[in-house]
Amino acid sequence: MIEITIDDRKLSVEKGITILEAARRNGIKIPNLCFDKRLRPYGGCRMCVVEIEGGRKLASACGHPAREGMVIKTNSPRVRRVRQSVLEFLLVHHPLDCPECDKAGECALQDLVFEYGVPETRFTGERKHAQPDVRGPLIELISNRCILCAKCVRICSQYQGRGALGLIGRGFPTVVQPAFGEVLECDYCGQCIDICPTGALISKPYKYKARPWFLEEKENICSFCGVGCTLTLGIREGRILRSKGREGAGINDGNLCGRGRFGFDYIYSENRLRTPLIKEGDEFRDASWEEALTYVARSLSSIRDAHGPNSIGAIGSPRCTVEDNYMLAKFMRAGLGSGNIASSEAFGYAGALRAFSLSFGIGSNPADLASPLGRDVILVLESDPTITHPVFGLNILRAKREGSRLLVADYRETKLTRHSNTWLQLRPGTLVALLNGMMNVIMDRGLFDRDRVSGIRGFSSLEAVVKEYTPAMVSEITGLTGEAVTDAAVTFANAPRRLVIMPLAVSENNKGPGSALAAANLLILLGEEPSSLQVPAEYCNTYGMLEAGIMPRGGGMDVFDMLYKPGHLRALYIMGEDPLVSMPDSRKIKNTLRSLDFLVVQDIVMTEAAELANVVLPASSWGEKEGHFINAGGLRQRIRKVVEATGKSQPDWQILRNLGLAMGINLGAKSFQDITKEADDFIAGGRREAEGAPRPAFHPVAYEPEEPCDSEFTYTLVTRDVLQHSGNMSTRSEALKLVQAEAFLEINEKDAERHAISDESHIKITSRRGAVYLRAKVTDAVPEGVVSTPVHFPSGGINELTHFSGNTCSRLDAVKIERVK
Amino acid sequence: MEKVLLKNIDNPNSADIGEYRKAGGYRSLAKALQMQPADIVEEVKKSGIRGRGGAGFPTAMKWNFAMADPKFPKYLICNADEGEPGTFKDRPILEKNPHLLIEGMVISGYALGAEYGYIYLRGEYPAAKDILEGAIEQAYKENFLGDDILGKGVRFRLSVHQGAGAYICGEETALIESIEGKKGQPRTKPPFPVNVGAWSMPTIVNNVETLSNIPYIIEIGGEAYSAIGSSDCPGPKLYCVSGFVENPGVYELPMGTSLRDIIYKHAGGIKDNGKLKAVIPGGISTPVLPADAIDCAMDFVAMPKAGSMLGSGAVIVMDESVCMVRVTYRAMKFFEHESCGKCTPCREGTDWLRKILERIEHGKGREGDINLLSDVAGVMSGRTFCPLGDGAAGVVTGMIKHFRSEFEEHIRDKQCKFRN
Repeated sequence: MIEITIDDRKLSVEKGITILEAARRNGIKIPNLCFDKRLRPYGGCRMCVVEIEGGRKLASACGHPAREGMVIKTNSPRVRRVRQSVLEFLLVHHPLDCPECDKAGECALQDLVFEYGVPETRFTGERKHAQPDVRGPLIELISNRCILCAKCVRICSQYQGRGALGLIGRGFPTVVQPAFGEVLECDYCGQCIDICPTGALISKPYKYKARPWFLEEKENICSFCGVGCTLTLGIREGRILRSKGREGAGINDGNLCGRGRFGFDYIYSENRLRTPLIKEGDEFRDASWEEALTYVARSLSSIRDAHGPNSIGAIGSPRCTVEDNYMLAKFMRAGLGSGNIASSEAFGYAGALRAFSLSFGIGSNPADLASPLGRDVILVLESDPTITHPVFGLNILRAKREGSRLLVADYRETKLTRHSNTWLQLRPGTLVALLNGMMNVIMDRGLFDRDRVSGIRGFSSLEAVVKEYTPAMVSEITGLTGEAVTDAAVTFANAPRRLVIMPLAVSENNKGPGSALAAANLLILLGEEPSSLQVPAEYCNTYGMLEAGIMPRGGGMDVFDMLYKPGHLRALYIMGEDPLVSMPDSRKIKNTLRSLDFLVVQDIVMTEAAELANVVLPASSWGEKEGHFINAGGLRQRIRKVVEATGKSQPDWQILRNLGLAMGINLGAKSFQDITKEADDFIAGGRREAEGAPRPAFHPVAYEPEEPCDSEFTYTLVTRDVLQHSGNMSTRSEALKLVQAEAFLEINEKDAERHAISDESHIKITSRRGAVYLRAKVTDAVPEGVVSTPVHFPSGGINELTHFSGNTCSRLDAVKIERVK
Repeated sequence: MEKVLLKNIDNPNSADIGEYRKAGGYRSLAKALQMQPADIVEEVKKSGIRGRGGAGFPTAMKWNFAMADPKFPKYLICNADEGEPGTFKDRPILEKNPHLLIEGMVISGYALGAEYGYIYLRGEYPAAKDILEGAIEQAYKENFLGDDILGKGVRFRLSVHQGAGAYICGEETALIESIEGKKGQPRTKPPFPVNVGAWSMPTIVNNVETLSNIPYIIEIGGEAYSAIGSSDCPGPKLYCVSGFVENPGVYELPMGTSLRDIIYKHAGGIKDNGKLKAVIPGGISTPVLPADAIDCAMDFVAMPKAGSMLGSGAVIVMDESVCMVRVTYRAMKFFEHESCGKCTPCREGTDWLRKILERIEHGKGREGDINLLSDVAGVMSGRTFCPLGDGAAGVVTGMIKHFRSEFEEHIRDKQCKFRN
């Protein structure tokens, strides 16, 4: 610590920090236009100048280190004069179009001019008059208003790892633009919009929507991925108009991805359900709540009475609140007496839970969003967390910048592979072989503590399995060189602080529960704790849904039995999920749903599954109801009702409570407070039960190819997530659809040439289960022989192609490709 | 004084390693490799040499900062981005005496513990690029560069990095950004390049002329060297004289030669018996001196006292036919064009100043414009990110100080009397 004096205040501050940082930490405001704590000091705007006693020149506080004994004046007349002159310089060309600028009222430049007085305008002559660049979706660049602080350029390249914007040209004519003045094509995270101190970068969907001083700002937790960012929502006349990050708010501390920033408008989808619907013949008709609930109650009761409670199943939702899911589980277990409760997570996070339980002997392993920081080596396995969990992904990029070695095993090029030290480009679905190969090298070279590890249950069988996975053999399976496998193993084993990251997304078919087990084996072999295996839960409340009891227990059927085996169930209650879009092999599911005596779908919009239902119940969406989400880190966060419910929709938990009453079952929950407390107690109880030290054990996994290609089905289909979407809920967002509105098939340039397929042309893609038509996206991001597609889009019908066959290493699909003439 | 830097320059093959060696070249390197690195630095310290790039920072002090930093590798960069208008002093070394520079760099690299060197060459010197690369190839062949120099186990590798035509890249941190492949813009200091330079490693950036002095310092010893020229900043100095003189060119003279002698004794006086009006003594960024202020010693210590700076030693001579408003306007066009755009005062200020000067020169000046010029230059001065903006402001301030009446005449008469 060192002693400094700022504005007559004696302060003790950490050695090595800048004057600006020292001031910030002590609540002393030094104005600035180009500083952001996430970025390296730039020193361009010259607003943060301060006077250092004994110094000849003024220093810019953002880059100048505080030194022992420094006496600093942040607001002396000399300093103020300089700031006034800087503002005068900036206003020479900054258009005073504040009356029509979205930023007016929350513009840093405007505020500073207000504070320091409007300088006398002594400039005469022609001002800059560039036309706004409105070509890209979501983000508009108005370079006339730009003061060239370069914050947007720097957040994009230094922090977001994208580098989509640059300072083009030199000196006075410099403009912020995408390379070569092309249309902005980027992550569309919109971080540049939030960081812009003026109105030079604005959100297109929000443009001209409201004056900021008329906006009511309310915070809410994002409803997309498992990170659980805090959104600062701008609301006017009962409608959410924008979403932004705010420094100091929530775990994201100001960061947001494009889904959080632009995607909230799915709640205003035309497709929203406004009233209960009852099917008559092939058509739905509007119904009152009373009629609909009575109908559902009677139907479920009669099926239970005739066929027993086990003939009824329910699907919960990682998008619904803890309270909603808890109530569904309670309705099923306590109300109907059925344990058939499942969710889409059977295809994702459930695989991780299984690995935690088998390998570490623990019931849960919450992710730590800060875990990448300070690790020597980070190994990311067939995933791109910068897509699945964007704000968590930022910490991986930050760790890399701060010196961590980043190894990425992935079949395709991603933002993360571009930032990696080593990209292990393996064949899709061969991760288990790579991990076994790494263990082979580690065992072979004695890079582990044999004395400590050999006593762990399953060690000898692991040794026996892994023995076969020599680098040469692994090379043959994965397509990596033997040296690459060896190097990765040695690098990983020799690092003092290691981390494995591998989200298991419902939509991804290239890794499975077996992959998580293999990763756990590797970590246990090296003496690591469960916290070194980071599998962040996928959606906003995946973690909370599971904790609230949405999982088959006590002999209840899992998703596989319920949805893929017609005849097991007579009735199904689906809440906030569309299995026909999110789950593999949708034709089978469709058959099952059609075979049911009674199907209830409770959702915010009309879905593919709802079309098949007997009754559709309108639920209030995120933003229209109170509740809690539990993020991937196990953090319970309050979500708030910020706008009125759509139509006659009601919160899910309330619908279920009322349905219970209609069936003569009292599920309690008179008020929101009641249900919250009950759910919270339930979760706390579950957590207490799960407490206990890890009991590691090895569960060796052999690599088994999943649905290999043959002479007819020659391509491997990999399903994946895209950055702008999350599940299929985001596909109802008009804003996000501006970036990506429909499914596409990525195909390697050489393969495309072989089939005479050009970019944007239509392709028929056929698997052993079905065929769909997609537009081609010719790219070198996927290797030859592999095609890749996102599953988010209901219209794409991708899951008609896919399959599911249990706890395997992967569930890849073999497909054939034809050009549509 | 015997020529050190321009020795052998009249030999048409002076750039050839054979000719260089015949004239005694690379002997200092052999001598230096017998010495301990610390002893070389000691000699450089004794010599009192100050950096020839313009700021006049003591070379040995810069070296010591870099050596005190425990990080390796260290990089040695020769700043050959000779872009200051009026300056062409390094060019004869680069084109005619490249081995002198190479020898100086190898000795310096050995002394500093730097195994990698770069010559950051001005983009507009294509001839020098070929010559330097040819000389480097020769030096590798004869084992003056490489992994085992002269069999002494010393490694120094050297390559030329050509700039893309940005004046700002003469600023050492912008130069480093450019070498790293980034846009040439200066970095925040501290940290200084001696601690966090190229690829975040300790980096020493020295001017061509500075490094070319090193072999001679080793040859005759620091003490003997310190006896040449001014006592507080000794050594031979290259002065490049341009403008209205009989014999423009590069002159190697003892540091501290008077400006009057440079113009009248060495450069042959004012062209066509004209009358001296003004001199810009050290490149366009240094303040102008009127005709009666040229009895000053051209060194780093005396020139600030005389109201200007030594800068790069680029003497621009103007006679009575020259319009000082036009000179100022032309200079400002240069600064506006070369401002990197990073900091507000320089980016906006140079543009604004240029616009005012343009209208004055074209007879459209207004009352108050001179005060406005002074004000704008005044708020730029000392407040820009790097010295580029200071230089731009200094030109205006200096010109108005000495030639205010010419500006006034332009505004009053609504024309430039020097035209036609």
